[in-house]
Amino acid sequence: MLVMGEVHTGLLQNSGEIPESTCRDVLQLLSGERVRVSRRPIVYAVSPDLLTGVDCRLPSASQSRIRGAGTVLSRSSITGGRVVQGSSYTRIERSGSDRRQPWSHYLARPGVVEVLGKVKSRDLADGFAEDPPADGLDLGAISARFLDVVQSSPLLDRRAPFKIARTRLRWVAEQGEPAIRFTLHSEQMRTVRLVHTGEFTPAVADLCEDLALHDWLLTALLVIIERARIGGTPGPEAAVKLAPAVDHLLHLWMPSARVDDVLSAYWESLDRRPGFTRQWQSLVDRVRDQLAVHTLAFLREKSGGGAR
Amino acid sequence: MTSVNATFGEVAAERRIASAPLSHVSIELGHLYMEDFEAGPERLREQFRRVAPWAGTVRSSWQDRVPGGRARVSTCFLIDDYFSRFSTPAELVPMVLEAAADCDLTIDYIARESACAVSDGVELARLVEDRLVNDPPPDTNGSRPPVKESGWLCNGARSPQVGTVQAMGKANRWAPPLQNAKRGHSIFVDVELWDENGGKRTWSCPFLAAVWQLLRLGLLRTDGRLPLRPVMREDAFPDDWESLPAVMQLNPAAAPFSAYTTLSVLSPRFLPVELAVRTILSQVAVDGDVLRQVVARSGGEGIRLEEELVDRISYVFA
Repeated sequence: MLVMGEVHTGLLQNSGEIPESTCRDVLQLLSGERVRVSRRPIVYAVSPDLLTGVDCRLPSASQSRIRGAGTVLSRSSITGGRVVQGSSYTRIERSGSDRRQPWSHYLARPGVVEVLGKVKSRDLADGFAEDPPADGLDLGAISARFLDVVQSSPLLDRRAPFKIARTRLRWVAEQGEPAIRFTLHSEQMRTVRLVHTGEFTPAVADLCEDLALHDWLLTALLVIIERARIGGTPGPEAAVKLAPAVDHLLHLWMPSARVDDVLSAYWESLDRRPGFTRQWQSLVDRVRDQLAVHTLAFLREKSGGGAR
Repeated sequence: MTSVNATFGEVAAERRIASAPLSHVSIELGHLYMEDFEAGPERLREQFRRVAPWAGTVRSSWQDRVPGGRARVSTCFLIDDYFSRFSTPAELVPMVLEAAADCDLTIDYIARESACAVSDGVELARLVEDRLVNDPPPDTNGSRPPVKESGWLCNGARSPQVGTVQAMGKANRWAPPLQNAKRGHSIFVDVELWDENGGKRTWSCPFLAAVWQLLRLGLLRTDGRLPLRPVMREDAFPDDWESLPAVMQLNPAAAPFSAYTTLSVLSPRFLPVELAVRTILSQVAVDGDVLRQVVARSGGEGIRLEEELVDRISYVFA
């Protein structure tokens, strides 16, 4: 019927980026299951999928009381040894019955929540994308725990190079004519409404995680530039404040790196408007220009000092 | 210029899941405890005499179901070497085989119960414990971590603790526990999974029996591999239990150890244990890829398997 998900993205609580082997250890959340790692074009490590059982109210734009039961699929991932994500999603499906089934019924359908009773797909999707009820399905809390479990690993030194808030991206995917809408709500909150042709595949969740990652990178870079108060603070000071961006962020921009070919058109359309990569590139140029200007000034000062 | 279709793969990024050879049904002919052994071979013969007709019935019903009557049926026998150690394989195994043969039964595989806890360095019981996804009571929306009583698993919501004081100073009154998917009235079950003494964990009998069922259903994997494979018997049986393979194949012509379905023929005194086993198995999340693999295999043979794994397990209490 539809799929709901939420991705939380944050800076790994470690002074430097962590190597692939540490990523594996940090993400080893399930015994007997390997952490999957891909190295091209950027190191990306992901934990095994884990399930959380739920039996609760589902969001509804019309405020109807809709109950669903089943499991939510979640995972933690680390990109470039630097950015951590906690991601959860569940497929909402109609149940053949109005009764809550024995739990084994739901475990035979991992990652599916079945609606008990009648429901309109649009009502659910609108309810989830806008403002889900407090006592309703809380994918945000589940994703936050999958991010926390990584951040609290004893293998991390908890000395992040700069402070930056987590972002949350809530997404709903439905079947139909391909479309995507990305909305910024607040400093931390974003929503994505995505319409795909054919059956849902986990590749859609991968796409949303990739969007969340790049939106976070963009947000983080904007924050760093804002904090540097270019023009308002002396050059050397601004340069010092911009340095973490160079050390930790600039090399991480790899849009669509893990996105299925079938879905890359969604990225491309978002890249045309609003133009994530364009904005990223202009910010990167700004950081580099500032550092270049500062270096020139520094060299001039040094050579001037030597002549005296 | 023509476009080029490039593919790039990374082994470490892909999941590979081994597939288990599978029979149609795995029949457990018995489960031997120390007290049975102490009662002597006559007790064993008595048990096998009771089991034989049921095993025959299941075998022929599968032969009717499978085209050409080529049903793959394997039999197994579990010996408890976990809760109590007695005798030696060299003494005990031949006695069991003889008693079975007296009742025209063939035991294809013999297994040690302790293998369900640890086998070849793989902690199978831990593996299964890690895959428990608790049955959520109503109003579980994910906002808090699942409520878990360490070492216990239930099928609903427990009674609030009597005598504890709430915020307003009112003592909690007793309220009944509730089964989650009850039909009218609750049958609340709370199962002890393990206990610990001096840092040493002892798994409960129902928990090991749940692992045993999962092994027989071929649904466990560790790093994508099968956690144990039956080892063909040698001429002589060893003098200590550790030297006996976790699962030993006694009959060279046997059908595979694991199967689409299982049948256990047990004494009615095991009924509470098996209720506990079902309570546990109802909350084990088997890997989705493994589930699909088994469904595809059985579908290829024209067999429709029950969706829920607890429905692939049947019992005769006789």
